[in-house]
Amino acid sequence: MPFRHAILSAGFALAACGPLLAAEPLTKEQIQSAVLSEAVTIPTPGEFFAAMDAQGQPNWTQLYAPTAAGTTASREQMALMLGVLVADGYMAVEAQDGQGVKNTGKDIINLAKKLNVSQSVLSRGNSINDFAENNDWSALREELEATQNDVKLSMAEQKDDGLIVLVTVGAWLRGMQTASDFISKNNTPELAGLLRQPAIVDYLLAQLGRLPERMQKAELIGEVQQKLRDLLVLVQTKNRTPPSQEAVDKMAAITSGLVAAISKENKEP
Amino acid sequence: MKPLVLLLLSASLLAAKPTPTPTPAPTPTPVPTPETRDQITARSKALELAGAFANDGYKVRDGYWGGMLEPGKPQILEINLFAGNSYWVSAAALSPARKLSVKIFDENGKPVKGESYEEGLAAAAGLVADASGRYFVRVELVEGEKADFCLIYSYK
Repeated sequence: MPFRHAILSAGFALAACGPLLAAEPLTKEQIQSAVLSEAVTIPTPGEFFAAMDAQGQPNWTQLYAPTAAGTTASREQMALMLGVLVADGYMAVEAQDGQGVKNTGKDIINLAKKLNVSQSVLSRGNSINDFAENNDWSALREELEATQNDVKLSMAEQKDDGLIVLVTVGAWLRGMQTASDFISKNNTPELAGLLRQPAIVDYLLAQLGRLPERMQKAELIGEVQQKLRDLLVLVQTKNRTPPSQEAVDKMAAITSGLVAAISKENKEP
Repeated sequence: MKPLVLLLLSASLLAAKPTPTPTPAPTPTPVPTPETRDQITARSKALELAGAFANDGYKVRDGYWGGMLEPGKPQILEINLFAGNSYWVSAAALSPARKLSVKIFDENGKPVKGESYEEGLAAAAGLVADASGRYFVRVELVEGEKADFCLIYSYK
């Protein structure tokens, strides 16, 4: 039993470890009062990719194709792109492509500089390089998440709260694009089931709905919101059944279109 | 040195470092707020427990959730898990709390099968997710008085 082994390997007392004891179900009120904390409620692309590994063993070397970020003057687009790059970083880690991780790390830091994030974030670039140099893939996964969290922290300190959710949206979209594209070509019920993420889409839509009016008016943000609504219909299946092949194909098309829109050159602020 | 350890060390030195804190639904917000010394200590204890699972290949999330736990007022957190992944949700509280409990429920609020670890101020619940989607974690103060707590989860 892997759980018990984990406990034992750490030297904890066996007596303290056992099957989860029967508990009363949660009430509707308790479910409705559940806290949503972005730092833990939204999974990282790394978790998503780990699940793909468990269900389908994708060839990450073939799948990893770094996104070329177009020049943009829009801070909203930069924030979305930053998220896309973070997901690219996780893909490079899965592909065990050290140079790819370094390149993506450099792109993340360059973009973060344009968003005026703090010095602490910039030092993460050096750590990413060091871990990539040593092929420390596990540490790189942690460092990528830590970099993303530091960027968000810095945005909050600068009262750029609206940009925080855009980083999350960018990372989630890129992870979803990678997964849906792979699954549309290698569909199994287990793999397709991973795409069933209505609670996450709901959360992201709710957060986007709280963006300042100025941001809401941006064409790209409007497009992201509309396409997320389309995705919500596709990922919402009854009785936890996996989305159909047709739905998976549509998800791949929608997310590919959005990632292309996020990474295209845009001279409008 | 692992980035988590570095993060923990720097967090211990900089008591005023901001961090996310729980926000009740239906108005969730990702905006971080300042972290107290007690919250940092609770996080350190939760990381200590999560570190045990890291020895078995579990990757510890950098993100965490914390706040105040009161007797008779369990805290419930929504998380999203992927089928096929194994998870451990670890939590720790500080004195005057004495005993903590962590339970995991599916999207309908039914308790899920898995493993548990409860030892005084630290507790964890583990499962292999059988379906992708929304789950709930309930952290409860079983014995003791109001205290800070922190929750972290690991996956593989």
